Amino acid sequence: MKRIAAVAVFTFRELVRSKLLFVWLISVVVLLGLAFLLSILSYGDILNIFMDLGLVGMEVSGLMVLILSLAVTYTTEMDQKAIYLQLAKPVTRGEYLLGRILGFFLLNALVVLGMGMVVVGLVLFLGGAPVPTLFYDCVVFLLMEMLVLTVVGLTFQMIATSMVGVVVYSFFTIFLGHLTGEIQWLLGKELAPATKFALQVVYVALPNLEVYNLKDRMYDPTMVLGLPQWEEVVLYTIAYSFFVFLIGWVNLEKREFK
Amino acid sequence: MLILVHPWLIQILSLGFWKNPLKGELSVADLPCAIQIQGLSKTYKTGFWLAPKVSKALKGLQLDIYENQAFGLMGLNGAGKTTVIKLIMGLLKPTGGNITVLGGSVSDRLIRDQMGYLSELPYFSKQHTGRELLEYFGTLHGLSGKDLRHRVDEVLELVRMVKQAGERVSGYSKGMMQRIGIGQALIGKPKLLICDEPMSGLDPVGYKEMRDIFIDLKKSGTTLFLNTHILDEIERVCDRIGILHEGELKAVATMTKILETSVPVDYWIDVDSGEAPKFHGLPFQAAVQKNGGVQISGMVLAETLALMTSRRAKIKGVRPLSSIVEAYFLQTIGAHAHLRAPEGSRA
Repeated sequence: MKRIAAVAVFTFRELVRSKLLFVWLISVVVLLGLAFLLSILSYGDILNIFMDLGLVGMEVSGLMVLILSLAVTYTTEMDQKAIYLQLAKPVTRGEYLLGRILGFFLLNALVVLGMGMVVVGLVLFLGGAPVPTLFYDCVVFLLMEMLVLTVVGLTFQMIATSMVGVVVYSFFTIFLGHLTGEIQWLLGKELAPATKFALQVVYVALPNLEVYNLKDRMYDPTMVLGLPQWEEVVLYTIAYSFFVFLIGWVNLEKREFK
Repeated sequence: MLILVHPWLIQILSLGFWKNPLKGELSVADLPCAIQIQGLSKTYKTGFWLAPKVSKALKGLQLDIYENQAFGLMGLNGAGKTTVIKLIMGLLKPTGGNITVLGGSVSDRLIRDQMGYLSELPYFSKQHTGRELLEYFGTLHGLSGKDLRHRVDEVLELVRMVKQAGERVSGYSKGMMQRIGIGQALIGKPKLLICDEPMSGLDPVGYKEMRDIFIDLKKSGTTLFLNTHILDEIERVCDRIGILHEGELKAVATMTKILETSVPVDYWIDVDSGEAPKFHGLPFQAAVQKNGGVQISGMVLAETLALMTSRRAKIKGVRPLSSIVEAYFLQTIGAHAHLRAPEGSRA
């Protein structure tokens, strides 16, 4: 555990200091600018629009920071071979990978929660009304989505042979992961068996990011978020992350460092 | 008569054996092995999967590295030296054969805890300070709290990086990176230290300091495995050397053995041009007249010096034109013939 924590702290510190948080800062500034504009232009549900914007901002800045950090660290760790000296130490490759995942996730949690605090602060400041509980649920779901994508991204980092590969794979996984609803809809149609099978494989292999998309349903009156829904999402997050972590671990064990 | 003689020459001519204070006569047969390499081979596959190209980096390497000794691996670029080190460290997987390190496998965490490794041109995350890096690597070795801080201070002192320890690595020179690289290799007090080109990027002072570190480590019982191009480092530090050429181990010998072997080293005898008439009738008279000295083979060095002194010539100095290890290396890989081949003789 001590070694995993050491790798996580080392990774987190590296990411925080590599100016990636400027992306987050820019997102906050854009959000504040939009909030200011909306307060001038709108008369209606300005607080709701602002919370919606905040949630989108959290997701977008989180994803941007994740992809950029994957790209930056691929260059350091793999291209410039900083990983060699670490793997030569008495740390297993599984511990190393888990530490990296935790370090990345800590950064993403910082980005998401930091933006969340800005939104909550502004809502309280502008409206004086309490922030709905569902907003906090959305933030927790977003954190789970970030965890899944962090595990996927770092697994790609262990498999890919170039930084471009990591960025492209991660980008398409995020993009297609948000289309799982559409894939499910297609699967309900009459399709050739081969196509159907291929779609089923894609559906199972891709992270189903739609399960974390609570923000689109924040104002849906039929929306119910009880314990069964929570259990389903938490279990999916754990199971999918664990499975992808195993793939990454096996690949790292097999990987040769020429 | 004034004779200024290179120290190597004194060792060879007057003492008759290599007088490195670190070495005695070695009886390697009884020494325990730190690394045992048996039938090690490595093949790289490159190119497209439909038409892969195969290159054999190592061909059945057989090598024992003894405990408490310094071993130097020499070879031309592309000979397979770095591949050997990466295979020992488990960064590459062998195609055939096996490696035993400190009585076990390198995949065992406890074995790796007793090893230190410095890669060629080490690279670190530039966002950390030197101290933070050493603390991180120390933690991976299981150190913590006071022990960790104490060990980091010790290592920073050892690699002369105390003043720069608080600065970020992004501001470090190549030599400073190399020092931190050595530092991280030493942080766990390794029994076995494996270094790939440890002198890269070091200035002459750093080079000397690093060599002193190796000598001290060896005195304290650390086994050293050095892969280097710097022959001086090998001569001064190593007890045994191995010569790798095109993936094959061409020779392994103790330094004592190399010095006993009659390797053709040329020497330069520095004589004033004005002394040339004293060599009337001798084949090198013209050379002395023209160049102020003469280049002769080590095989006839003693005779030539005796001849010169018998004619009361003032010899200003004698120095080898190449080191004995270099000569041995070139002879072993057959490079003498290659280097001296007339232009156009190669296809």
